[in-house]
Amino acid sequence: MRPEEEDRLLGKIAHLLESGLKTQVEPFPETHIEFAKILDELRALPQEDLRAKLVIGGFTNTPYGPDQMRCLECMYYLVHRKWCDLPELAVPVEPDWWCRLWRI
Amino acid sequence: MANLLWLQGGACSGNTMSFLNAEEPSACDLVTDFGINVLWHPSLGVELGDNLQRLLNDCVSGNTPLDIFVFEGSVVNAPNGTGEWNRFAGKPMKQWVKALSGVATFVVAIGDCATWGGIPATAPNPSESQGLQFLKRNHGGFLGKEFRSKAGLPVINIPGCPAHPDWITQIVVAVATGRGGEIGLDELQRPKTFFQSFTQTGCTRNMHFAYKVSATEFGQRKGCLYYDLGCRGPMTHSPCNRILWNRQSSKTRSGMPCLGCTEPEFPFFDLAPGTVFKTQTVMGIPKDLPTGVDKKGYIALTGAAKNAAPAWAEQDMFIV
Repeated sequence: MRPEEEDRLLGKIAHLLESGLKTQVEPFPETHIEFAKILDELRALPQEDLRAKLVIGGFTNTPYGPDQMRCLECMYYLVHRKWCDLPELAVPVEPDWWCRLWRI
Repeated sequence: MANLLWLQGGACSGNTMSFLNAEEPSACDLVTDFGINVLWHPSLGVELGDNLQRLLNDCVSGNTPLDIFVFEGSVVNAPNGTGEWNRFAGKPMKQWVKALSGVATFVVAIGDCATWGGIPATAPNPSESQGLQFLKRNHGGFLGKEFRSKAGLPVINIPGCPAHPDWITQIVVAVATGRGGEIGLDELQRPKTFFQSFTQTGCTRNMHFAYKVSATEFGQRKGCLYYDLGCRGPMTHSPCNRILWNRQSSKTRSGMPCLGCTEPEFPFFDLAPGTVFKTQTVMGIPKDLPTGVDKKGYIALTGAAKNAAPAWAEQDMFIV
């Protein structure tokens, strides 16, 4: 994906989240097995179904929880590209966002 | 001239294959350059039947001095402690092991099965397997905690699945050339020269570890295998990235996570499908942190590393 396409997609995702898209932030996968189940759900989605990806991934456009977890500290976040490198998500994200596949 | 005898218990022959591929020194060098007389070895020995029994009995009786007794594979005690499931040269192998260990100047356990019991000793352990002086992390094993060879040393453990060829031959040479007493052993009786550092030492992905960039699939040439793919390099003692395999590579260099095969708990995890090559997590944080790092420190380190990560850490830097 070219940088301008990534920017466009980032704007689209931001708009969806700002307009109140209800996503499944709970339950947070406490173990890697629960984590893997969410990945399986994501793999079953049609590639172009961005909205479902955001819902199942549990995206928020703010830090989350008492520890204020955010993409910036997540293992899959590429700081310079502003990109989630988890293959099942593979979307541009802002550092202050969060999703329930967060892991460090 | 040092007499060496190599026997094999509950094993897949992996350590024998490894030994025969040694290069520094090679198995041939042991004979030609270091004066090691290989009395018998499962793949090299020529004696069979009565001749083999005579050879073994001569060692046990002391007629043939046994300088180095090398054992590969687990000590099989099944069924019911008799050892009959693993007979060799007319009797249960465990009886030969006991007798030969009692007369050998040095006893060397090669590979995970001989050191910790290995895969055969994994629960439910139907073969009642033990390592020579350990059963997993429990000190004791088949020969007992107090065992000392004639040189006054406990069993020298060279774990690995298999052990690297050169770890084997270099320790054999040290023993054969009278430097056996100088081999410093760690608390698990592994030679410190090989097992004091971690598999991570020398890993080409260390920069990705430092900047918390994860590999998400096997064979990827960027990213650390620890965060997602179950790599045990930061908590496994081995020189796999210092003494390379086939002189040129290692698991982690080729994109395959370290399985932690030199540690007594190998094979790790609960063997449920999908658990071996996945980093186990508790609330998004790895269950097993690098040795010496606590949870609080790990979280702080992650935040700082991500903030400081340079752009190149996110790129595939290795051009074929």
